Amino acid sequence: MKKALQILFILSIFFPIAFLLVLSLGRNWPYPELLPQSLSLENWEFLQKSDSKLLQTFFLSLGISILVATVTTALAFITSKHIALSKYRNKLMLLAYIPYVLSPVILAATLHFFFIYAGISGNVSGVLLAQFFIAYPFGVIILNNFWNHKTKAIEELSRTLGSSNWQTFKNVLLPISKNALLLCFFQTFLVSWFEFGLTNLIGVGSVQTLTVRVFSFVNEANIFYAALASCLLILPPMILIWINKRYIFATETVI
Amino acid sequence: MKLKSKYISITIFILFAAVPVLLGFGYALLYSFGLTGILSEGFTTEYWEKTLLATEFWKSLGFSLMIALVVMIISLFFSIWIVISWTKNLYKGLLSYVTYLPLAFPSIVMAFFSFQLLSKSGFISRLIFNLGWIDDLTQFPDWTNDAYGVAIIFSLCLLITPFFIILYSNLYQNERIPELKALAQTLGAKKNQITTKIIVPILLKKSAFTIMLFVIFVMGTYEIPLLLGRQDPSMLSVFIIQKLQKFNLADIPQAYAVAVIYILLIATLIAVVYKTRPAFFNPEKN
Repeated sequence: MKKALQILFILSIFFPIAFLLVLSLGRNWPYPELLPQSLSLENWEFLQKSDSKLLQTFFLSLGISILVATVTTALAFITSKHIALSKYRNKLMLLAYIPYVLSPVILAATLHFFFIYAGISGNVSGVLLAQFFIAYPFGVIILNNFWNHKTKAIEELSRTLGSSNWQTFKNVLLPISKNALLLCFFQTFLVSWFEFGLTNLIGVGSVQTLTVRVFSFVNEANIFYAALASCLLILPPMILIWINKRYIFATETVI
Repeated sequence: MKLKSKYISITIFILFAAVPVLLGFGYALLYSFGLTGILSEGFTTEYWEKTLLATEFWKSLGFSLMIALVVMIISLFFSIWIVISWTKNLYKGLLSYVTYLPLAFPSIVMAFFSFQLLSKSGFISRLIFNLGWIDDLTQFPDWTNDAYGVAIIFSLCLLITPFFIILYSNLYQNERIPELKALAQTLGAKKNQITTKIIVPILLKKSAFTIMLFVIFVMGTYEIPLLLGRQDPSMLSVFIIQKLQKFNLADIPQAYAVAVIYILLIATLIAVVYKTRPAFFNPEKN
């Protein structure tokens, strides 16, 4: 019974992936057919067509997410140290949790005026900044756990042994923080990669990330292209989660 | 030098984490009181009165809370049940990898998948038709865009349950539950007592803050109710964005009034946790 339930559980997890993959290969799916009538790679060839812009969309999303994750991780690493060692640590973390739990689309709705005023609404820089506003507090929350008494003691020991600030940072702090930094990068990458509401509102539909394209295809009732874009959307996170699970989750715990 | 870099760091943090929320909150507050925006004619409480007296706002708030609580109850039940029943399998083998896969699904993809699965012309409807249980797709129940948010609950449970399975399987080890279980068994506790008096209370107590965060997350979720929900009742985020993007300009201040209430609600909840359980914000003291 236990084994059967586990197999059912595993199948239920693989089912959405297989279902979306089959739909992405489909062409015609009249009711009550269980599967699309024709399955081919025709939809996937759409990726290569220059007018589809789906591949460009994929790389735009990838670029935005990598940039947001890189800047967030770097800045959160530096600032979280001072926050964690500050006597106001709890108060500052309280400030980090508010944007972290706030619905991104509502934050975007209240800030949209300022983006229009600054002339960055409807372009990539605006989307980057808006995504940074939600990714950065998350990055600080993740890295806040890293700056504990143990890290502080190792850093002080390095200085006592004669290392300069730069040497301590490069040869001591960076190596021991590798897992925390990777975790922060992956998590903030996913925050950006999964984002739809905020991107759609600040990008005014002009910044077509993959999530925005999935929504457009669904609105156009083009389920086959929506499934194709969905497959592209779940592929990078799956690779990241595999790396995360293999090399990081074993030693770090997310909140 | 050290002091200077500390102040720069904290300033950067406040600038990017707190200032955007404060700016947005301030703008929404001013707009809702008629002090800025296209319709601005000076201070008025008209939009707040309209918002607070309108049943649609309360329906939206109640619907969001109902969805959040139902999703959390279902997700917590399944995740705790899986962790307790399959403890050993979650740490090695295929199951230890597979549990992480649903985390790769963005909300919009999960919403699209749920729609293709649960709608009247979806996969389940086709399956049931082919089994001969229904003669026409109209006989299939309304699970998408329905009044009870069935598809919304389904999608959110699919997204959240794996997260709690991972969290609880980690807590299970970190809190030394196997040792406590063995001790309770030695002292004569029954299997049922170990589950209800030891394992479940420890897991729930340790994850209380995360559960609260997820209730807030679910209440503010946007993509899933946008694709799978209906206009009335709608969840809070959808309600606000619909009012902002409608052609009726008089609805905009009301949308901002709801946004102000939502931000205040979140800030209050976080502040309550800060006051009652400050250790949550400082893992070293947790």
